[in-house]
Amino acid sequence: MIEFNEADIGEIPTDAAQGVKVIGVGGAGANVLDRMALEGSDDARLLTLNTDVRALTTSVSSDKIQLGATLLKGMGTGGDPSLGRQAALEAVDEIREAVRGNGMLFLCVGLGGGTGSGAAPEVCRIAREEGVFLVVFATMPFSFEGERRMTQAADALETIGRYANAVITFDNDRMGELIVPKDGVTQAFAAADKIISQSIRATMNVVFRPGIIRIGMDDLLSALDTDDSRCLFGYGLAKGDNRSLEAVEQALKCPLLDRGKLLNEAQAVLVQVAGGDTMTLYEVQLVMEEVTKHVGSGTQILFGTGTDKRLSNSLSVTIISSIPGPDSGSRVMPEESKEESGPVVSLGAAPAMAASVAVAPSAPVESVSPLAQAIDEAEEVPSLSVEDAPEPPALEMPEPGAPSEEDDDVVAIPAEDSGEEEDSAVFEPIGEEVEEEQPAYSPDTIPISPILSEAAGEPEDEESDFRNPIAQAVEEASGEEASGNDVDHVEAVTDSSQKITLTRMVSSGNTGRIKTRAPEEGGDASGPVLPPTKAPSLPPEDELEPSEEAKQQQEMLQLEPTSGKGRFAKTDPTIVDGEDLDVPTFLRKK
Amino acid sequence: MASSNIYVGLEIGTSKVCMVVGEVRSDGAIKILGVGQHPSAGVRKGEIVDPETVQTCLHDALARAEERSDVEVNTVFLAVTGSHVKSLNNRGIIRVADEQMEITPEDLEEVKKIARDVPIPKENGYIHSIIQHYFVDGQDKVLNPLGMLGQKLEADYHIIHGVKTRIQNTIKCVREIPLEVEDIVFSPVAAAQVVLNREAKNEGALLIDIGGGTTDYICFVDGAVVASGCVAIGGDHITNDIALVLKIPLARAEKLKVSHGSASLKGVEAKEIAVEGESGKTVEQELLNQIMNARVNEMLSVIAEPLEKDGLLPKLGKGIFLTGGSSLMRGIDEVAADLFGIPVQKSGSASMSGPSALFENPQYATPVGLIRYAQLLDEQRPKKGTLSKLGQRFEKIFGGGK
Repeated sequence: MIEFNEADIGEIPTDAAQGVKVIGVGGAGANVLDRMALEGSDDARLLTLNTDVRALTTSVSSDKIQLGATLLKGMGTGGDPSLGRQAALEAVDEIREAVRGNGMLFLCVGLGGGTGSGAAPEVCRIAREEGVFLVVFATMPFSFEGERRMTQAADALETIGRYANAVITFDNDRMGELIVPKDGVTQAFAAADKIISQSIRATMNVVFRPGIIRIGMDDLLSALDTDDSRCLFGYGLAKGDNRSLEAVEQALKCPLLDRGKLLNEAQAVLVQVAGGDTMTLYEVQLVMEEVTKHVGSGTQILFGTGTDKRLSNSLSVTIISSIPGPDSGSRVMPEESKEESGPVVSLGAAPAMAASVAVAPSAPVESVSPLAQAIDEAEEVPSLSVEDAPEPPALEMPEPGAPSEEDDDVVAIPAEDSGEEEDSAVFEPIGEEVEEEQPAYSPDTIPISPILSEAAGEPEDEESDFRNPIAQAVEEASGEEASGNDVDHVEAVTDSSQKITLTRMVSSGNTGRIKTRAPEEGGDASGPVLPPTKAPSLPPEDELEPSEEAKQQQEMLQLEPTSGKGRFAKTDPTIVDGEDLDVPTFLRKK
Repeated sequence: MASSNIYVGLEIGTSKVCMVVGEVRSDGAIKILGVGQHPSAGVRKGEIVDPETVQTCLHDALARAEERSDVEVNTVFLAVTGSHVKSLNNRGIIRVADEQMEITPEDLEEVKKIARDVPIPKENGYIHSIIQHYFVDGQDKVLNPLGMLGQKLEADYHIIHGVKTRIQNTIKCVREIPLEVEDIVFSPVAAAQVVLNREAKNEGALLIDIGGGTTDYICFVDGAVVASGCVAIGGDHITNDIALVLKIPLARAEKLKVSHGSASLKGVEAKEIAVEGESGKTVEQELLNQIMNARVNEMLSVIAEPLEKDGLLPKLGKGIFLTGGSSLMRGIDEVAADLFGIPVQKSGSASMSGPSALFENPQYATPVGLIRYAQLLDEQRPKKGTLSKLGQRFEKIFGGGK
């Protein structure tokens, strides 16, 4: 295949292989590095960062930086990420020096503790500022380590996700089951470290190995392209007559793959087959056939093959993929903790792939039509708006679109009032059912432009909170890119940050309600769900001058609050396929 | 009394609170000693919405049960249900350590742990993990792999989980009585213990427990639970539908449903039914049946859809068993048979010895099932050998003497 023009797609040049550095932060990171050093690292240089000077001296990596030499005096952080962060800041120049000039950085870190969770995000930030392509391998703590460490880890992961081009997480809880439970504890941890170091090595090989069919960074990114993903990784190496099948079997047997079972769920699977000069096409074919058996029919297979003299007569199979993490579902729900993780993918992808631009046009559409939904998934909003960025007109779109999309004028009232009040509290006394509706509707109103200007004045503190990370990130992203788009980006920052503050304000209002309501509201506005509120839909013009009439309308609504559900009026609705089953079937089907 | 155990099953249903005291004899037979029940209030769709009211009902049921059975009730097995209860199937795999080869009880525990490690929402907790079958080195449907040689042990589990806090609320409500909750059981799991016999479970059967506020189902194929769940629609909805469509009060709608209604549209007599208490108001039998039929049809199809999608319906050799209070409704079996296309029978709990045949009434399937469940649980527990069994027995005797 013809070589890519790397500069265009933001890929690191192949000859930068010597510019690869593997950084281990904290105790866990150092362990992985040691493991890599033991197995003989190929081309990459190893750098250990740690606060604990004793751990640092025992490390076998070539370069070492002590963090927080004056702050901590060579002691550890005692599990306090803020100390870890300060320690990293103290050594910021050394870190910058070490990072600079590398084509690519692999950072491995065990999150949850003080040094890892505190320093790693700082290192990532620095790497990002230096424009280094950054892939992070993060290990999440065991759940028995406690809630606190989990939160620390999650927080750190979020920040890391903002800076890194790709984040691969390993769940220690899952590690536990990969290893025969009776193994000694040293063995178990060694096995875990080995898995990580193998992944790093394989990732390097996959990207840098000269190939007949080459796999690029873009392929790797799309294989890992699920936010909050769990990395699937398999590597097999075999010799002899039956080497192709043996290698693939080994790869599938790799504990992270769960015997290839998990591949079924993956969106994209990256497979690289490499061998010495003796590798035959038939062998490659065999491998691919075997892999295909384990992959769902809709899955994209990113295939690469190459020869490597060092492999001589053995054949290696590397499988990399990702699936949504085991707890991604639950992590989405609570609070806006995930708000930041949206950009993980988009930022990482932005410089690397033109694809993200292709996503952009669809994004505004999404944010316009089922707005209730968009709010429901509040965490997505920031990421969407970041993507909106290059197209300022997107923000105007809601205006004409809104009246038709929800033909209910109740919308308009909160638009005027709550714009300033930040809360629909004004309406609370009016009536239960109506009040319940409010939050579901008000989100619609917010992006409808006029408020944007008004609201901008008032939630300033929030705005600045949010502006920082995203503004930074976008600036950095644009810095990496060829420029030209810069203006768009800056505009986007102001707009999007407003958007974020607004959505946040809404979600703080009455999240629970919004969530239960959202599907019916957003999905289809067809009558049966809440006949009384929907029925008296007024012509859209009212939206422009709502006040009096609309208020009367509301009071009328309140007179006949919830007919159609009888005794189930005040219970949680039973909704199946978007239909409220509490309303008599007989009436719905008629 | 040393050789028999007394268990108490408690179901806080949408329509009634029911407490059943049962004695399990040493030969395994169950004798119902007494039943206390009270019309329920403060429960909607199988979940407690007004704990205080529920506790009043509970006190009453408890007093009656104690009085009739002459047993002081301290601990109960509690049935839980609600639309938040969900289920899924998952397989756990472990490799048995090379030097060990033989599968040990620890391995079974381990594989169970792995099988349970499925992504359920954070706020949910496990209610049951029911083993379906094991695979040893790919060998199918091993029932008890203990002591077998093998390197790879797989286990299919059916996992039932629900929102922790909602379940805890129910438990809290009972504890405040005060009664200790020994275990919680998902209602259809309990009901299946008495409604379905071994043969039915092996040949494949679907149990649908239509209660007042919820309809619970559980599906057995090859002796293992393959699907279960809860739909928050029940008899109350039918009453509510009638009341809303005909614009009559709920109490009259209920009466109309029980005394005249049918879910079937076949062979409807063209007659007018007088609505009691509302002078001059009549209802056409056909209209009444249509209202009920629409609801029952919908309710059952909500259950049928996922089962059909998984291709389970053809595997149900014994067909469908309807139980629960609302299964007493006329014509409901016809509707179900049409919808599912497999044989349907109405069924209560079978073959219990006791003061009366009352408990064969489908309304009591769940609470009686709880007793059976408790018995099975106890049988499984002391599998440590005769010595420890003996020890336990002594303990019981001395414990009882205290």
